[in-house]
Amino acid sequence: MKRLGLLAVILFGALLVYGTTDFPDWGDPSSPAATHLSPYYIQHSLHDTAVPNIVTAVLADYRGYDTMFETAVIFTAGLACLFLLRVFITPKETEASGLYRHRATGITLRIGQGGRLPLGTREFERIDSQWVPYDLIIRTACSLVLPFIQLFALYVVAHGHHSPGGGFQGGVIFGAALILFAISHNLRTTLKAMPEKRTNILTGTGVLIYVGTGVLCLLLGGQFLDYAALAGLLGVDPVMARSHGILIVEIGVAIAVMAVMVSLYYNLASAGHMDEGL
Amino acid sequence: MSAHYPIFLVVAPLMAALVIAIIARERPGLCPPLAAIALTASLWSAAGMLCRVLAEGPFSYHIGNWPPPMGIAYEVDHLNALVLVAMAAVALINLITTRQAVASDFTGREGYFYALYLLFCAGTFGILVTGDAFNLYVLLEITSISGYALVGLGHRDAALASLNYVFMGTIGASLYLLGVGYLYLITGTLNMADIFSILPRLFGSKVVVAAFVIAMTGLFMKMALFPLHGWLPNAYSEAASPVRSLIAPLTTKTMIYVMVRLGLYVFPPDFTFNHLLFAKVVVWVAAAGIVCASVLALSQTSLRRMLAYVLIAEVGYMVGGFWLGNRMAITGAILHIVNDAAMTLCVFLAVGSFTHQLRDDRFATLKGCFRRMPWTMVVLATAGLSMIGVPPTCGFFSKWYLIGGALTADHWGLVAALIFSSLVNAVLFFRVFEIAYYEPFADPHQEHRPALSYAEAPATMLAPMLFTAAGLVGLGLLTGRIVTHIIDAAIPAAIL
Repeated sequence: MKRLGLLAVILFGALLVYGTTDFPDWGDPSSPAATHLSPYYIQHSLHDTAVPNIVTAVLADYRGYDTMFETAVIFTAGLACLFLLRVFITPKETEASGLYRHRATGITLRIGQGGRLPLGTREFERIDSQWVPYDLIIRTACSLVLPFIQLFALYVVAHGHHSPGGGFQGGVIFGAALILFAISHNLRTTLKAMPEKRTNILTGTGVLIYVGTGVLCLLLGGQFLDYAALAGLLGVDPVMARSHGILIVEIGVAIAVMAVMVSLYYNLASAGHMDEGL
Repeated sequence: MSAHYPIFLVVAPLMAALVIAIIARERPGLCPPLAAIALTASLWSAAGMLCRVLAEGPFSYHIGNWPPPMGIAYEVDHLNALVLVAMAAVALINLITTRQAVASDFTGREGYFYALYLLFCAGTFGILVTGDAFNLYVLLEITSISGYALVGLGHRDAALASLNYVFMGTIGASLYLLGVGYLYLITGTLNMADIFSILPRLFGSKVVVAAFVIAMTGLFMKMALFPLHGWLPNAYSEAASPVRSLIAPLTTKTMIYVMVRLGLYVFPPDFTFNHLLFAKVVVWVAAAGIVCASVLALSQTSLRRMLAYVLIAEVGYMVGGFWLGNRMAITGAILHIVNDAAMTLCVFLAVGSFTHQLRDDRFATLKGCFRRMPWTMVVLATAGLSMIGVPPTCGFFSKWYLIGGALTADHWGLVAALIFSSLVNAVLFFRVFEIAYYEPFADPHQEHRPALSYAEAPATMLAPMLFTAAGLVGLGLLTGRIVTHIIDAAIPAAIL
């Protein structure tokens, strides 16, 4: 079996090398990729969509439908993880298991399955079973950095029209900020700030903004995702409407990507239990 | 409205999936009706598109109002309109039939199940309707990921089977993407019609040859053609029954459609069939695959595993028929995409009925089933006769075209393989019928024979199953019309 695999890999490699012998030269300006469609995009994208960044114009307008489904792929991945990992059994309020620290004295109690806390839950705080001592420096440093990361994420989303960036990148940065918060504090604190229910709703909503924009164009008499049809609604000319349409869907993408990142982290870190985990 | 059918087809299930995912925890009761509405809308659009194609001929839909090749276009012609109607019907029937099974197999996650179900359907419909080679890959991703997730939550070894499926599926899809990348490199476009018009100038290029071989191999992996079928038996037998009867009819058949689309409308047919030795090799591989899969099917002890191998043999039918490259054989292959989707749905719904009512589908459990579950057995018997190829069921007609095509091409190897497989199918199914006909032997030490309780599935499951079984006969009787009106127009006139 191993030999067969090796043979398949060698044959396939030979095929790839065989194909490369007829490749156009590196950076060849007369290669088909540079002469067939690219000139159209380079010459017309600004005129068509009022977006200076050609990549954004192609990604979110000319081929915006692909991008919509790429967002849906990310949504599907998040949903798949939730579907497979999430444990849908909620423990009763009074029951407690795991490690608890008495706030006043710092004494830590381990409570077994089905046990309950001696003095009522208020006096105790739940801590992770692989408990690491409270680290002031890490928490403070991360808390200081977080707003700036989030602000930068918003900048990346908003500035996709002019520079590298856009919904995917901005969303990932925003999601990473929340994950940093979860790592520097703990999962329960993060779940209080960003409940699981909210991430689930945001995941769907983000993609819905994208799809909904497309459907809105349809309802306003255009083709699906024909942002020019939004001109009347936005009060601008059709070309500018395309630019605004791109921004709207980029925001949808950013929301979806951010929420999926966080949802994936929640499910993977806590193995679907939503109680503790790094 | 009717102008927007192509987009409606895909966006209706997609939007419904998003809404269902949002309300899944709070209102699980709303999810199944919403899913049914979305899939009905898809079926309606698909039927509308077929009518329009028959009346006016092929048409396209420009997404974002960008004309291709600048933007992405959906191209509707006879080929995909026919397959779309079949697939949309399969998805809807399966949704209605399996509702109870979903409630018991996926307690607490029904909402998420239906969201993934609809994403899977949206992806499949998109693959069938798209006219853009890269858009196809994106939709393939969505179909695959939702498929892996659905398979992953099944029987005991489902997670492992799903992981195996992930590896094989990802390699297959990546190979397709690599092929598309090569095509872009040499043509500078991703639009299928555009590639088709540019390629004839580039027949000599090694890049085109490499792209062709790589993309087709990727598709063979995704469709589980014989030596690359490793993921299929476990994935299909470990999946929960509602998932199995969704994925089994849709996945492999969709991939075969993509192969036909690529072979006829992206690569010129002359290149596909005559330029390389590839076509001849593939026909022999398919013939060998049919024989091997049929033999392997004989050694299985549970109905669903047996059917998984029968399915691999069926893939061989269609691949072999298509690559023969003559009109009759390609007609048979396209007809068999539709027929096989209907037959697979029918048998797996019957299996689902057994697993739902009896909790098992091993042959030993099926004893006395003609008495215990008479109607389910009627459904299984009809589907079985169709898979053997007994007229007037639809299986007979597509096999007729396939064997006729193989005779036209003087390819005796494939003729022999097809007949051998039919005979093996006869053995397989009549063995099942025999087991189900006779009741278990009485225990000689006991006075009374064990009483066999009547265990027929509820009417809500039975009605759609009987409808599907009747559909197999209906499809068979309609074969003449389907072939003359639709499939004839779907195959380029250059192919004789």
